[in-house]
Amino acid sequence: MSEFQGCQLPEDLHYDLDYVWARPEEDGTFTIGVTDPAQTMSGRLQKARIKKVGTHLEAGRHVATLESGKWAGGVPVPFAGAVIARNDALLENPHLINIDPYGDAWIARVRPDDPATALERLHTGPDAVAALQAWIKRYDVQCMRCSD
Amino acid sequence: MKSPPFSLGNRFTRSALKKESTVSSIDQIMQHDHERLDALLEACATAVQESRWQDAAGLLEQFRRGIVEGHMFVEETMLFPAFEALEGDGEHSLTALLRKGHQDLRVFFQEMAEAIEAQDAEEFNDFLSTVQTILRQHDAREEAELYPHLADAMPDHGAAAAQRMADGQREKGHE
Repeated sequence: MSEFQGCQLPEDLHYDLDYVWARPEEDGTFTIGVTDPAQTMSGRLQKARIKKVGTHLEAGRHVATLESGKWAGGVPVPFAGAVIARNDALLENPHLINIDPYGDAWIARVRPDDPATALERLHTGPDAVAALQAWIKRYDVQCMRCSD
Repeated sequence: MKSPPFSLGNRFTRSALKKESTVSSIDQIMQHDHERLDALLEACATAVQESRWQDAAGLLEQFRRGIVEGHMFVEETMLFPAFEALEGDGEHSLTALLRKGHQDLRVFFQEMAEAIEAQDAEEFNDFLSTVQTILRQHDAREEAELYPHLADAMPDHGAAAAQRMADGQREKGHE
């Protein structure tokens, strides 16, 4: 696990180099969430909307929207696909994203239309971590993780 | 030092600034444009609530063109570079955040248009809520941290940017 300005950046995940991480699952689907620096930038989240299971999304469209007292934004999917699961716990308690963005606070699971190209817009490993470090510097983010 | 305002004897100042017939500064012009765009978006939301889908589509397109091709274009090509030059170290974290806000908003505008096309008021309202929150925070930050520095950051005190905003308004008025 890499860390930069307090932000955790797991090297085994795939990133859009903005807000989103994606983890390939054994069944060909991808679990999607937001990164530690992204949750820090957002502040304490108060509202989350996640697309219903069965919704089809084109690449770049938002699978979820998040709002805090000081920030609002969307969580884009990096590839076209259908939502096959969503984390309903976040609808009740969006603040979970501030606590465990890479674990319990996953946002949705998406089945890509074309699994062969799903990773094309995503980056992983040391190059991704370096790009995310640049992102953190660009937006002057200092991560702090909430414990409750 | 606060820079002097300049004259803009054109339609933009009469329609958007209302109370001020010919004189305004670049920060006032940009703030008034926020208000004008907010009103357009509200009108679009009202049309959606009343199921006037064709009106809603037209109003959203008017809003989108005004904000993307007018307001954001002037900010990204003239105002942000001037602010960055004033600060002296390339892209500033403030302008980086504001540019990112613009990028995020463009996707939401497309999604709002798709919701109107699908005549899906619930979907539209979800996007509207998020977009209005983004705009409220984005605009407040621009008005507090960027606009007050613009006149001093630009050699012409923002006259060219103000003229570009006015030209954009005039073109839209003739459509």
